[in-house]
Amino acid sequence: MSSPPESASLRELQSGFARALRESASAVADDPGAAFASAIAGDALPGEARLAIYRNNSRAMFAEALQRTYPVVRRRVGAEFFQRLAREYRAAHPSRRGDLHWVGAAFAAWLEERMAGTEFAWLADLAHLEWACEEALLAADADALPLQALAGVPAEQLGATALQIVPSLRCVSSAVPVWSVWQENQPGRAGRPIDLSLGAEYVIVHCDRGTLVLHSIPDRNFRFVRHVAAGATLAAALEGSAHDLEGLQRVLSWLFNERLVAELLTPAPARAEACGR
Amino acid sequence: MTEAASSRLRSGALPARAGIGLRSVHHAALLRDRPEVGWLEAHTENYFHDGGPQAAALERAREYYPLSLHGVGLALGSVDPLDREHLAGVRRAVDRFRPALVSEHACWGHHGGEHFNDLLPLPYTEEAAVHLARRVCDAQDALGRQILIENVSSYVAYRASHLTEWQFLSAVVDRSGCGLLLDLNNAYVNSVNLGLDVERFLSGIPAGAVQEIHLAGHLRRRIGERDLLIDDHGSSVCEAVWGWYRRALELFGPVPTLIEWDTDIPELGILVAEAHRAEEHLRRALELAA
Repeated sequence: MSSPPESASLRELQSGFARALRESASAVADDPGAAFASAIAGDALPGEARLAIYRNNSRAMFAEALQRTYPVVRRRVGAEFFQRLAREYRAAHPSRRGDLHWVGAAFAAWLEERMAGTEFAWLADLAHLEWACEEALLAADADALPLQALAGVPAEQLGATALQIVPSLRCVSSAVPVWSVWQENQPGRAGRPIDLSLGAEYVIVHCDRGTLVLHSIPDRNFRFVRHVAAGATLAAALEGSAHDLEGLQRVLSWLFNERLVAELLTPAPARAEACGR
Repeated sequence: MTEAASSRLRSGALPARAGIGLRSVHHAALLRDRPEVGWLEAHTENYFHDGGPQAAALERAREYYPLSLHGVGLALGSVDPLDREHLAGVRRAVDRFRPALVSEHACWGHHGGEHFNDLLPLPYTEEAAVHLARRVCDAQDALGRQILIENVSSYVAYRASHLTEWQFLSAVVDRSGCGLLLDLNNAYVNSVNLGLDVERFLSGIPAGAVQEIHLAGHLRRRIGERDLLIDDHGSSVCEAVWGWYRRALELFGPVPTLIEWDTDIPELGILVAEAHRAEEHLRRALELAA
């Protein structure tokens, strides 16, 4: 590989620098970092050693951003293994934005493949939950309606009414007790191992007035919330979740009490009524 | 009083006082205690999103303090196309929080679609100055306002560079009409790492363009057979940088000054005490200017 001449254009120079920074740069025999180092004025410290500072910085920035989004995954796998995961993940999904918040967007899906067939396959579910937390924390704020707002909907329109859920709500289900793992690994908690055979958990995540909130709720309620959040009418959500009317009342009360409903979307009035004829 | 100092007193978008960086670990203490600092600086990228606790805290802090928004991710010097999506995020943050100043860096950071999320140094060439100035103009057009460009710290000097750092920055200012954010720690780091002559640097940059100063700490590390300063913003300002700060105030008059502390962030009180030390210097500069 030829090195950029002293008169290297800006494009050539950035291209060479970028090759030297990439994750694989220090691992290949024909080291692009060494080739590019000749474009750098050296003294007692050669160009390649100076480039290595940037390579390490870039790697560390990426890993720190990933760690900020996935602190529980990191705690469960340990710092050293997390660094290894971060390097592998970065090679597959390098940062595409100047805003580091998005670096971890594909991490959970990547972990699903990376851990498939291993005893750590469940870590992908934990990562999905942590990404849901990240999204909830960045979502738009919205005022919540009180339960009394439902009283204004005529009984005959209730089934056709949909609820606009607050933008921060996320639904995460897992065959393992992922909410329990998350809780046990919060700062100040011991981080004791959770018995993964305890079974599935269904988690609702949202951000309420600046505070992240997680609920582990029964399967049936979870299905109802997920249907409602997807825009289903209350009748359709009821059918999809196999709730009875008493269960419907309980889960609706819960949704409003947890400040998760932003708006009621009542059915449009019939044309004749709408036109006032 | 120098001409630069005189224009500063008249324009002064931010007060000529010391400010601190707004960091999430300090939100509660800052909003509760409202310490006596002149203004706040926040990283623009933390406010690209529609809601959440970060934005809510800045909304509240904004009621009590003037604000500067400081971007770290636009990478204006990159030869890749300008990231319009990122720029739109800056615009949304600017429209929402109405900062007195908006700043970015004289650097590049992405290539071939990959972002390195670092402030990578540009070669000091006419070509790079023209390119950066054009991108600064694009950003200023999109934001509908002037931005400041910060001099960056560096661990490399390119053989291709044929301008000095101050000639390079002056060319960008001349061509784009941007202002300068003078980071004195970066200049000092470059003096140790690359042999930059800080006195000539300060004398060479356009005095009237300097609208904000950054002060920060760095890490000294032995690499190979040489000491290098790593610009980690993880400690208090060193005495050498305080010395250059006094010199900068002589040259430029009282300029809004930020204490930057981004890693190993201390308690809020330590940061505020550091800001008060800068305020002492600013007060003397104001007295001299008066």
